[in-house]
Amino acid sequence: MDKPKAVIIGAGFTGCATAHDLALRGFDVTVVERGPIANGTSGRTHGLLHSGGRYAVDDQESAVECIEENLLLRGLVAECLEQNGGLFVALDESDLEYARRWVQSCERCNIPVEQVDVKQALAWEPNLTSKILAAYTVPDATFDPLRLALTFAATAQTNGARFRLFTEVEGLIERNGAIRGVRCQERTTGKSSELYADCVINATGAWAGKIAQMAGDATIVVKPTPGVMVAYDQRLCNRVINRLNEPGDGDIIVPQRRMVVIGTTSFEVDEVDYIPVFEDQVQMMRECAIQLIPAVAATRQRGAFMAARPLIGSSASGRSIARTFKCFDHQETHGIGGLVTITGGKATTLRAMAEKTADTVCAKLGITAPCQTREYPLRSYREFRGSDAYQ
Amino acid sequence: MSEKWSLHIEVQRQKGKEQPHFDRFDLEISPEATVLDAVEMIWAFKDRSLCFGHACHHSTCGACGMRVNGVEKLTCITLISEVTQNGGTLRLQPLRNLPVISDLVVDLTPLYHRMAEVKHPSVHPVEENEGVASQQIAQAGKSNNPYTRLADCIECGLCISVCPAAMTSPAYIGPAVLAGAQLAVVMDEHVCAIVDTQNGVWRCHSAYECSEVCPSHVQPAQRIMQLRRHLLSQRIRRFFGLQSLHQRKQ
Amino acid sequence: MNRIFQKPGNAIQWFDPRGRQLGYLAFILNRITGMGLALYLLLHLIMLGKLAQGPQAYNSFIETVHHPVFIFGELLVIFAALIHGLNGLRIILTSFGIGVEKHKPLFTVLMIAALVSGVYFAARMIAR
Ligand SMILES: Cc1cc2nc3c(=O)[nH]c(=O)nc-3n(C[C@H](O)[C@H](O)[C@H](O)COP(=O)(O)OP(=O)(O)OC[C@H]3O[C@@H](n4cnc5c(N)ncnc54)[C@H](O)[C@@H]3O)c2cc1C
Ligand code: SF4
Ligand code: FES
Repeated sequence: MDKPKAVIIGAGFTGCATAHDLALRGFDVTVVERGPIANGTSGRTHGLLHSGGRYAVDDQESAVECIEENLLLRGLVAECLEQNGGLFVALDESDLEYARRWVQSCERCNIPVEQVDVKQALAWEPNLTSKILAAYTVPDATFDPLRLALTFAATAQTNGARFRLFTEVEGLIERNGAIRGVRCQERTTGKSSELYADCVINATGAWAGKIAQMAGDATIVVKPTPGVMVAYDQRLCNRVINRLNEPGDGDIIVPQRRMVVIGTTSFEVDEVDYIPVFEDQVQMMRECAIQLIPAVAATRQRGAFMAARPLIGSSASGRSIARTFKCFDHQETHGIGGLVTITGGKATTLRAMAEKTADTVCAKLGITAPCQTREYPLRSYREFRGSDAYQ
Repeated sequence: MSEKWSLHIEVQRQKGKEQPHFDRFDLEISPEATVLDAVEMIWAFKDRSLCFGHACHHSTCGACGMRVNGVEKLTCITLISEVTQNGGTLRLQPLRNLPVISDLVVDLTPLYHRMAEVKHPSVHPVEENEGVASQQIAQAGKSNNPYTRLADCIECGLCISVCPAAMTSPAYIGPAVLAGAQLAVVMDEHVCAIVDTQNGVWRCHSAYECSEVCPSHVQPAQRIMQLRRHLLSQRIRRFFGLQSLHQRKQ
Repeated sequence: MNRIFQKPGNAIQWFDPRGRQLGYLAFILNRITGMGLALYLLLHLIMLGKLAQGPQAYNSFIETVHHPVFIFGELLVIFAALIHGLNGLRIILTSFGIGVEKHKPLFTVLMIAALVSGVYFAARMIAR
């Protein structure tokens, strides 16, 4: 029998990880991406491999998924990680109040947290504000965004998946109430082409609503909600520094190479192809960063950037196959076959998201093939072959 | 909102096998925006067929290198105000000495492959003297610091684009790769065989321009000199029948 | 490792100093003086070849090279040799790991030395 054909739209974390998973399950995979790898939200992340601590109180399911995937990825993608752990620090009474609930929740989620002496925390991180009242260690890590995506892409490519970069999907091919492929345009040559598939997977993140619309499914409304991040020109800490309170603006500082990156905010926009960086938000990030690491005040800003999360309109969210991210079989939402949309989630959980999506695709096509991505060793990101990915 | 500059942006274009030419776009943009912002705006609002490389927008991925008015820049951290003035012109071209895919994008994967060959570590221990003496040519992995971090080199290819030796000798493995070899934790026979050759460390013509354009503290030229010193001292040792340094280390 | 980065034939771009730093200037100077010296060597060999054609041919040749244009040319050769040689010294030193961090001041000092000694030779030649 011929291999089942899958076309994945979008080569962000989600698309690359799904390509890897489906390639291992024997699919003939083609990833169609309108730009280079990870040019959307994936490239522009904080780079925090979450321990789950951030979600332990409000969203335990996500927290559990984060810690599981965090520990798994440490072994799989060590090449793109700074594995130095993280600290949650309390600065005021309300933080201390929150800490009690937080510690309990972390225990319930199996996130190994440990309270450390304030003196010890300051000895580890001398640039941390001396005003801290309490500190806890968590197994956070930093990842290199492009290289994390490339690692999955390179492995998928080695296993036969094809990447078609700079190729924009402009329409879906529909036959008898089912999506049977995509119409696309190569930006490098201006040529148009068509690709056929047994299943099309829409992994376009904040743009997922537009592809759903191409299929005539208006039930999936994606409201892009961007956030700002600011990078400073010195490695002021070695561990990730988290403010110990409800998730809020500017509460995470992530060290990366010789920089630290602070983030983030959240607001809604309509258009995501270009999101300007708002100076007042950059200023606010700086103030938040100085609260945690006063030395930021004297450090040059290196870059400021925006990335958009996909916020899914409430009418559709109830139908999602998974709760920690959004996965829709359009057969169920709108009676269209051959199309699965996956969006939301976190970089940290890319493998788990891919696993659930691939399960859904397999179930749809009546294929039984177990997921192998938990143990399958990944190739080096450096093995990705541009010569096969650019037209 | 804040002040806007009006700029003329000339972008080198190339689709398929056609000859490169320039397209001109007029753009209103804040001087505090980056050159990459300008390129992304052209794509978003003026010409959807424009191809350019980018991912992280904060100098950690190395995908956004271009020549801005002839000089290699990491465009995501290069402010408009650093490279032009109100009413000015920006001429954007792809990097040289790497295969151009289209418009402003080059294929950096050949560079990745070479970095793998010389075993450049992508993660290494944080140097003891980090920040204090960043000028010093340290070797990766030579520290007992318990923390690790991603390496300096972001594999952006700026140094290859600017290098006059890479311009005329396509087989030259280039500054980033030589710096990568110098940073390799063990310089074994395999790495030596790549580096200690005509198209390796001896091809460099000491223009030092790689260190001038490197946006990420690598100082490839200095590392090339360090490599030469290492290789020369090994040759001298061999001449006198002494053990070579890397044999001794193993 | 056999991927080709680009087509050769860009040598003209070697000499474009726009937006470049001191080290690149050194590179350009070294190229130009190197090519000049190679050309001179060729002429020199041709001149020596005249010797084989007998004393007459050689003497008449020597006559013509006393023309000021040739004297100027000879001055250029001296400057080129000094610049190329001293710059070469810098490259040798830095290849041994000496003065790598100070390659720019090293270049400046050596070029001043080249200029001073060049002027000295020029003065002597003109005085003769
Ligand atoms: C501000 C911010 C900070 C974050 N920080 C973290 C963090 O620190 N840690 C963490 O774990 N997670 C983080 N996340 C979450 C994480 O970044 C996202 O979950 C993840 O990047 C989503 O990846 P994706 O592949 O679904 O989407 P994207 O990366 O956006 O990929 C979608 C791709 O589809 C392509 N595309 C769109 N339309 C088309 C078309 N018509 N044809 C072809 N291709 C198309 C786009 O070019 C794009 O590359 C953060 C998110 C935000 C917004
Ligand atoms: S050495 Fe510097 S310029 Fe060269 S590829 Fe690495 S980071 Fe870029
Ligand atoms: S976009 Fe990543 S380095 Fe500029």
